[in-house]
Amino acid sequence: MAACYGAGALSALLARWSGRLALGVGHLATLAGAVTGLGVSLGVLLGAPGRTLTQPLPALFPFARLSLSVDGLSAYFLLVISLVAVAAAIYGPAYLRAHSPHAGRARQAAQVLALNVFVGCMAFLCCAGDAMTFLLCWEGMTLASYVLVVSDDRDGENARAGLLYMVMAHGGTALLLVAFLALTERAGAFDFAALRAAAGDLDGTTRTTLFFLAFVGFGTKAGVIPLHVWLPRAHPAAPSHVSALMSGVMLKVAIYGMLRFAFDLLAPVAGPLPPSWGWTVLVVGTTSAVLGVLYALQQHDLKRLLAFHSVENIGIILIGVGLAMILWRREGAGGVLATVALTAALLHTVNHAAFKGLLFLGAGSVISQTHVRNMEELGGLARRMPWTAGLFLLGAVAISALPPLNGFVSEWLTFQALLGGAGRFHGPAGLVIVFSAAMLALTGGLAAACFAKAFGVTFLGRPRTPHAEHATEAPPSMIAGMAWLGALCVALGVAPGYAMRLLDAPTAELLHGPAASAVVTARGPLVLSTGLTASGMAATSISMTMVTALLVALTAMVWVLRRGSRRALPQAAPTWTCGMSPTSRFDYTATAFAKPLRLVFATLYRPRREVIRETAGTPYVVRRIHYAGEVVDLAETQIYHRVLRGITVLSRTIRVLSTGRIHGYIGFVLGALFVALLLFGVGQ
Amino acid sequence: MMTGERSLGLLLLEMTLLVLLGPLVTGIIQKIKARLQCRQGAGVLQPYRDLTKLFRKGTVQADTASGLFRLIPVLVLAATVAAGALVPVVRAGPPAFPLGDALLLLGLLALARFLTAVGALDAGGAFGGMGASREMTVAPLVEPVLMMVVFSTAVAAGTTELGALAAQRGTSWVFAWHASDFLGFAAMLVLLPAETGRIPVDNPDTHLELTMLHEGMLIEHSGPGLGCMLLASHTRQIVTLGLVSALFFPVGLVDGADAAGLLLGVGAFAAKILVLATYLALVESSYAKLRLFRVPQYLGIGFVCALTALALRIL
Repeated sequence: MAACYGAGALSALLARWSGRLALGVGHLATLAGAVTGLGVSLGVLLGAPGRTLTQPLPALFPFARLSLSVDGLSAYFLLVISLVAVAAAIYGPAYLRAHSPHAGRARQAAQVLALNVFVGCMAFLCCAGDAMTFLLCWEGMTLASYVLVVSDDRDGENARAGLLYMVMAHGGTALLLVAFLALTERAGAFDFAALRAAAGDLDGTTRTTLFFLAFVGFGTKAGVIPLHVWLPRAHPAAPSHVSALMSGVMLKVAIYGMLRFAFDLLAPVAGPLPPSWGWTVLVVGTTSAVLGVLYALQQHDLKRLLAFHSVENIGIILIGVGLAMILWRREGAGGVLATVALTAALLHTVNHAAFKGLLFLGAGSVISQTHVRNMEELGGLARRMPWTAGLFLLGAVAISALPPLNGFVSEWLTFQALLGGAGRFHGPAGLVIVFSAAMLALTGGLAAACFAKAFGVTFLGRPRTPHAEHATEAPPSMIAGMAWLGALCVALGVAPGYAMRLLDAPTAELLHGPAASAVVTARGPLVLSTGLTASGMAATSISMTMVTALLVALTAMVWVLRRGSRRALPQAAPTWTCGMSPTSRFDYTATAFAKPLRLVFATLYRPRREVIRETAGTPYVVRRIHYAGEVVDLAETQIYHRVLRGITVLSRTIRVLSTGRIHGYIGFVLGALFVALLLFGVGQ
Repeated sequence: MMTGERSLGLLLLEMTLLVLLGPLVTGIIQKIKARLQCRQGAGVLQPYRDLTKLFRKGTVQADTASGLFRLIPVLVLAATVAAGALVPVVRAGPPAFPLGDALLLLGLLALARFLTAVGALDAGGAFGGMGASREMTVAPLVEPVLMMVVFSTAVAAGTTELGALAAQRGTSWVFAWHASDFLGFAAMLVLLPAETGRIPVDNPDTHLELTMLHEGMLIEHSGPGLGCMLLASHTRQIVTLGLVSALFFPVGLVDGADAAGLLLGVGAFAAKILVLATYLALVESSYAKLRLFRVPQYLGIGFVCALTALALRIL
């Protein structure tokens, strides 16, 4: 398996020399790697329980033995990565050709190379059996994605986005490094088994400190609020299939890291996790979910909007993870709720990968055909790009957590876990959980509003600019990539019970408790159920399959009813515009659509608007009107700008001392050495 | 207490009953409103006449609309009717084969609303866009509160499946209301006009620019398509009323499957729906439509009630 992925990256290197062909061969290599990954992960997940594949790697460093080890959790995340990578590999070549037809050979080669390194690093990261491999892959993933972020266009915006990404990512990596090195120093080795053993006799404070270091480190990568500022800038800048991978998969790698740390490496041998962990994760998750979707709502750049939705969905996943942390080993006999919560989180991981991948690819088709990212300049694309429009709508329904697609299933499980948790914890703790459930409901509603806007303004109505008017359907290979993810959304929504088997290994291994399918599909694969009471008497059960069947039957019935009563073919007539001749100016814009919610949530948005009127003599005749409006990201203004100001002030103070004379600097160095010797040299 | 399970046939029967009775509830509300305004008013069967008329007519469609436009009314009606299958009408108890719970019911209603909004944007007129924008502003504020009311009863019953929930609480339970039930019900009374699209949140009688939410979205639909949309909003109304009666008044949801029991169940359901319909008509006659930006404050009352109900239940 190692050989296969290695070949993937290597063939990209070979393909480098063959110019335009590079794209084709390079993506084919990615596809091959992804399919192999799919095979490996399915082999582990469906194989005998508790089976772990291990593979020692060549010793690159004298001090650490490198190895790969694929257990249930690794295999599950490898599966998620491979599923999206397949779509990206099918979609990529045609997209890059259509989007930047005049790209130079060097740029294409760099993109293909970085893509293969990126996907390969993510896959190996999930399979890493020791801290060294983990950190190397982590760094490789960051660097390769940085190359992809700045590769798309040669403008300042992308470069700034890339720089911010680089700084934030390395800040996070530094924290991870500290957390890992603290463990490896105690263990004296790098492999995870030794780290696990070393973590066994940590005292509570150190354990919690290490967890929070790792949480902030991984949180930076996952883009939880307030560490998300790089995400809505960097993700849209990359080529669309890479955006799909970054949003759909790279963030999940951070979730993998969090799960690995919390439930595996740092978990106490017996007894529950410290309460501060789970509650922090739950609160951070809830905040990210609500604020993420609120900021997404006010974006008019299609890809930026999708990037903010990633913040939201990571929040939803973290709600499940946090709840699982809170409930783990804290329930009485049975203990199924933690399993339900973790199942919800893991299921949402793959669901989000599927629909977010689909949406980014859909946005990519629009952008490659129109070269416009601002949805105010689009419109009417459903008639020109029917396949893209249909698949984008599918993704929109899925991400809005509407039945019968997959987004609903994982949110339903999250709700059930929250409800069960609320029944278990009385007092303020229960209230926090319930409040989190209410916020999750708000998130779902706002996501639906956001995607009604995104889909409606981009694809429906009349085209607003010539770019949109002359758009044509995307090439078949791009549609195939989207259709693959669309099929996943439908399958995971209509028959989620069959996917539960894949969740058995990760849930059982992490929680040492009942496996997912034993709890959630206890009544057969067609029924999802969950025990709310300890006795399990009144379990709530739903059957997505039956409801979908009912929905399809009813649709067919209504269609027949409608068709049977119709006499003539529908007449076409212009849209009613109060007697004026209809133009695209009558279409509701994205800004207008989101305005009521902008005013309702004005405290969070702090909206600013500027209207300049040019009148012709009298105020009643307006010759021209100019409108500019913006909303602020609270985290950005309240935290980052203050930090920035602090740094600026600090640098000014230091500048007073830096005189430019070498003697002065030598004096500082001597002084520092003296102080250091006084402080740390005493014990010797 | 546990009662017997409801068969799939019964579920479909109940669903059909809801669809057939939906327009009648609208007719009754209109009649009560007319009498309160000292008018004679149209007969209670008027909505049925409107529907038959619309289903016989041809369709005029906006020339800018996409292929999706004709599918929207069909999907909206199907989603709403499917939500109707999840409400217990005559009998309590979980379904023999699980179908869906309160969350799925709210999800299906949300799906119908989402598709309606998308359809409204398709024709490319300002009316549809404005209606869609306003509807999608109010909906995210209503849904969490509705969800909290459901939770406040579900935490006590230990399930979100409506039939099982009703069975869990039993018929006699209504005489022993807890404080949180009163608050939850108060929240529900605040939400009902919003969820059924009535004054003070929306006005179902007009699509004038100042008042419209739901009606603005329907403006470009015509003929059978409009018929489907109207039938869907009648069904949505009776489903919401059914949800309230299942959550708070499981009285009359019978145990046995004999004919007399079923008749009793139907009678009790009709009585409950009639009371709630009268409430809607009274509210609609005695209040003015709120400004759109006052609606969040109005819904805030519901939110506070629901949160307090939940807090009382959990603490």
